[in-house]
Amino acid sequence: MEAIEVEGLQKQFDPPKGPVAVNDVSFEIHEGEVFSLLGPNGAGKTTTISILSCLLKPDRGEARVGGFSVTRQPEKVKGLIGVVPQDIALYEDMSGRENLLFWGRMYGMRGASLDKRVDEVLELIGLLDRQKDRVGKYSGGMKRRVNIGAALLHNPRFLYLDEPTVGIDPQSRRSILDKVKDLNAAGVTVLYTTHYMEEAQELSDRIGIMDQGNMIAVGTQGELVRLVGERTRIDVALDRDADILAGQWRRLSGVTSVSEPDDGHMSLLTDDANTLMPTLFENARTAGARITEISLAEPNLEMVFLHLTGRALRD
Amino acid sequence: MMKALSIAWKDTVHVYRDIAGLAMMFIAPLVLATVLGAAFGSGDNFSIAAVRTVIVDQDKGAGAGTPAAGAMLSAALESPDLGDLLAITRLDSPEKARTAVDDGDAAAAVIIPAGLSSALASSVAQEANVEIYKDPALVVGPSIVAAVTESVVQTLNGSRAAAAAAARLAVSRGVTDTARLAGIASKAGTAFALQAQTDAQVTVEARNPVVEGSIEKRPNVASQVLIGMMLFFMLFGAATPAHSVLEEHRNGTLSRLFTTPTPRSIILSGKFLAVFVVVLVQAAILLLAGLLLFKADWGEPGPVVVLTVCSAIVAASLGLVTVSFAKTVGQAGAVSSAIFVFLGLLSGNFTGTIVTSGPFATIRRISPVGWLLEGWSKLLYGGSWGSIALPVLVALAFAVVFFGISVFFFRRRYA
Repeated sequence: MEAIEVEGLQKQFDPPKGPVAVNDVSFEIHEGEVFSLLGPNGAGKTTTISILSCLLKPDRGEARVGGFSVTRQPEKVKGLIGVVPQDIALYEDMSGRENLLFWGRMYGMRGASLDKRVDEVLELIGLLDRQKDRVGKYSGGMKRRVNIGAALLHNPRFLYLDEPTVGIDPQSRRSILDKVKDLNAAGVTVLYTTHYMEEAQELSDRIGIMDQGNMIAVGTQGELVRLVGERTRIDVALDRDADILAGQWRRLSGVTSVSEPDDGHMSLLTDDANTLMPTLFENARTAGARITEISLAEPNLEMVFLHLTGRALRD
Repeated sequence: MMKALSIAWKDTVHVYRDIAGLAMMFIAPLVLATVLGAAFGSGDNFSIAAVRTVIVDQDKGAGAGTPAAGAMLSAALESPDLGDLLAITRLDSPEKARTAVDDGDAAAAVIIPAGLSSALASSVAQEANVEIYKDPALVVGPSIVAAVTESVVQTLNGSRAAAAAAARLAVSRGVTDTARLAGIASKAGTAFALQAQTDAQVTVEARNPVVEGSIEKRPNVASQVLIGMMLFFMLFGAATPAHSVLEEHRNGTLSRLFTTPTPRSIILSGKFLAVFVVVLVQAAILLLAGLLLFKADWGEPGPVVVLTVCSAIVAASLGLVTVSFAKTVGQAGAVSSAIFVFLGLLSGNFTGTIVTSGPFATIRRISPVGWLLEGWSKLLYGGSWGSIALPVLVALAFAVVFFGISVFFFRRRYA
């Protein structure tokens, strides 16, 4: 039995005309691994994690966490998981310590054991010295750390982190990534959602790539990169938007995909970059455009996404 | 249960850390009660400032050994018993007295004619008019002066009648000596006046309605107003923690609570409990403040406690039901305020328990707050368990319905 099993999840908001947020999504997460859901905004990552947190009920499909059904045994599931929501979900007029004590009580903890565990978590997130300050006075990074700490109090078997590094400084981001690695090393199974390819690459044992509610690929980083073969990505910047060039380049021999032009930027996947580059310059000159920047990149998750969707991850 | 208490404690602390909210809950009702109490008077009953009155006594008496009627009238108006009502100044001419009234320096002038005693002592009809010259723009003050003056003049006329009757009786019994007859008449007149003042057999007494099975009390105005203000601001006190459901929804903490192994019924129970505790504490503090600041006598402790708890339950239910219809905090604030002000006007919160009769007393029974005010009114006037039973039961019935509606909407929204 897998630690987390997801089969054919479907969720539509405001049916029948509302958007299908999650469409027939299936995947498994192994015990003790870090599994990332990678995809742009609106891909369905947060809806998936909300279903696995028992916040939303799926229209169809089933998910089991630690062997318990999220629809039929939600209280059992909730006892196993710690959820770090995408937005800061703390009480700003309470201190960091008061927040942790409160959230600990919501997991059924109390007394001396709760006090001790709060001390441990404060030390883990590096806020022992600021524990009595109101959360409203914390920096964004500090709030993020308390946001994570609140999900760790009951030593959860599964930790869900929904885009925990959005909008914070590089130092805090680094600190959070290191904490996730430490927790995973301590045996916690992690479900991590992000639209940052670098984070998914650094943290994950396996990755699920989502787009427009669909799970378009699941595997280890190596397995996913092999989907694009030995191709190279060429990132081009033009001095103007040139939609006509995107059409021309898609028809070129050796080009497997071209992203939609975005403010003069396009990405191409090709088997032979060296042969292709002179043609790109020639086409641009003919179209009256000028290439202002060009770079080559080795295969990575960004290229996988481009290869599978025809769009860059940042789109 | 521990989780519900933790949620209630957290919400209660949140309320008490909001300075503006606290001012609304505690300072505003006390300030308004103080201001309105001062406007209506804070003594045992309504009071007004002493009426500035000038007296001109031109009466020289009817002769040696006979008391001057003008002096009696002046003394009556200057009596210490009327010191709170009338501020008397003596002047020496009618012109000066009228000028004082014309200039607004006095509300009324009492001008006693020179022949008052003579007219009273005369055996033949002789007119003497005591003139009351009053400011036409004023009503209450001059009316008081006129009432006191008329009362004394009636006593004097009574004395005259008693004197005349005694003299006629003496004549019928054969007394013919003029000096003796004058002495008999004088004694009869004086005796009448004294008896009228000290041993009145027929009196008029104004009384308030008496609640059945109770002793009559006369609550002071400030305490009556404070009850209305307390109930009104308890609604706002209840709305503050009730809004926390929507605030938590907006801030994401409600969703986070739902990811913990805490049943939604416990979460809502904790929130409801917080609303109740906050308004109960608010009521207790305001009642205590009324006791200390306004020397309010709320009534028997048992019924007061029951009515206070009942008031808190009703306020909590109203706070929750108004929030349950709203989708955002801003919407809830606007809806709650509008409903509470309407209820305040309908129930008579702004006059407290002062209005207890007439059509308004019936109309306000549409509102649970109106029933609560009725209960408090009965307690303030000396009522006990029997007199508050119906208001408490009806108000609680309203509260049960409101709680039911709130639970229905909250559960449906957060199911």
